[in-house]
Amino acid sequence: MTIQLQEAVNARSVADSALATMQRLEIPPTPANYAIWYEYHAGMSPNLQRTIDVLISNKTAIDESTLLDLYSTFFSSAKEAQTVRETSMLALQTLQDIASVADSARDEAHRFGAKLRGIASKDLGETLDNLKNLIENLVLESKKMAGRTEYVGLRMRESAGKIEALERNLKDAIRDSSLDGLTGVANRKSFDATIRKTAGDAMNSGEDLALLMIDIDHFKRVNDTWGHQTGDIVLCHLARTLQHAVRGGDHVSRYGGEEFAVILPRTDGQAAVNVAENIRQALAREPLHLDLDPPLTPITVSIGAACYEPGDPLAEWVGRTDAALYSAKRAGRDRVQLN
Amino acid sequence: MSNSIENGECEMTDSNTLPLSCLITDDSSLVRKIARKIFVGLGFEVDEAENGQVALEKCKNHMPDVVLLDWNMPVMDGLEFLKSLRRTEGGRAPAVIFCTTETDVDHVQRALANGANEYLMKPFDAESLIAKLDMVVTRR
Repeated sequence: MTIQLQEAVNARSVADSALATMQRLEIPPTPANYAIWYEYHAGMSPNLQRTIDVLISNKTAIDESTLLDLYSTFFSSAKEAQTVRETSMLALQTLQDIASVADSARDEAHRFGAKLRGIASKDLGETLDNLKNLIENLVLESKKMAGRTEYVGLRMRESAGKIEALERNLKDAIRDSSLDGLTGVANRKSFDATIRKTAGDAMNSGEDLALLMIDIDHFKRVNDTWGHQTGDIVLCHLARTLQHAVRGGDHVSRYGGEEFAVILPRTDGQAAVNVAENIRQALAREPLHLDLDPPLTPITVSIGAACYEPGDPLAEWVGRTDAALYSAKRAGRDRVQLN
Repeated sequence: MSNSIENGECEMTDSNTLPLSCLITDDSSLVRKIARKIFVGLGFEVDEAENGQVALEKCKNHMPDVVLLDWNMPVMDGLEFLKSLRRTEGGRAPAVIFCTTETDVDHVQRALANGANEYLMKPFDAESLIAKLDMVVTRR
């Protein structure tokens, strides 16, 4: 094998690893992100590798701002040309792969494939701008394709795993990364980041920190009797009530399904119970009025509360809060239980 | 039985039967208390410092095997301490584990570039601290 060919093969396998990692971590396919993960897998920069390993081993979210920081920290302009050349090659290969897959599909996909091949055959040059345009075009075409595949019914989804990953990454990138789409309160990802941050601060300062887990009573019955649309209205109503019932520094999030969480900084067990009682009573005071047959039964919640013990694993604390919630359920629902 | 430390900046220590020593450097007394309990449980000889300057003085008297190091501290912060330690005679030997709430790329990168061996993010617990310790200390 010639040296050039061997290099090409090596670059290709690094490119594949980089793509696989980006898919696994759900990282949007931008030129900068390609460059980071290509270099990570190529092992050209031990400092970059170690920094990323530290972030991952500490369960730090590899989100947009982290990726931006990685790029600006490790990709000085001197190295840019080299990186761009290697990344161009990776992008080119990927485009050709997708183009050839798309060729085998029909109709819309055919046009899509031709377009991609058109992009791939252009002279790339070695500037970052060219690469940026190239991938932006790829992303744009993938995005158009995502809309069309819904009704054209092509085999694209099965045959082009890479496009599927691009679509998913795009959706992730477009969607607000910290808010729950239905209720508008913080989502689970934001909860995970906030609980780490506040617990770290509490460990440093020795200040109290409490957590509430809130679950709607008999929510399944709401969905089964009045339909999922009503269920969604109930979720939004609770989210609004929570936001009004908590205090300034508290963090309200949708933990999952019909379960919500409130992180309460500088709050001991008794004060946490007071906040929880506020929530429970606000819900009773301001019921949801919907014109339904049969009429909607009053919405109540069960709430578990527990305090953080610095040095204990976070999962253990969340587990204790959950256990308190379930003992509130067992004790008859519509009540608050402190762990 | 012998103890050794191996990783990156660390040099192998002499084989000996003494317990490993650790210097917990953090301005939070709560953090020092939690970390001390974990290290004592592992059989470490433990000392504490509430800032980088105190830690540096202690290191000059007795170089520990492991330094658990906070970033933000009054008088001398963790990074300044680390830079000074690595310039001190024998100061390349200790395994330094940063232990901080600073989780961004810039902090991690600067810590590693200045000779930190590992990086542990607060809040930590026994399991996550031991996992980092396993990366820098091999007990045989």
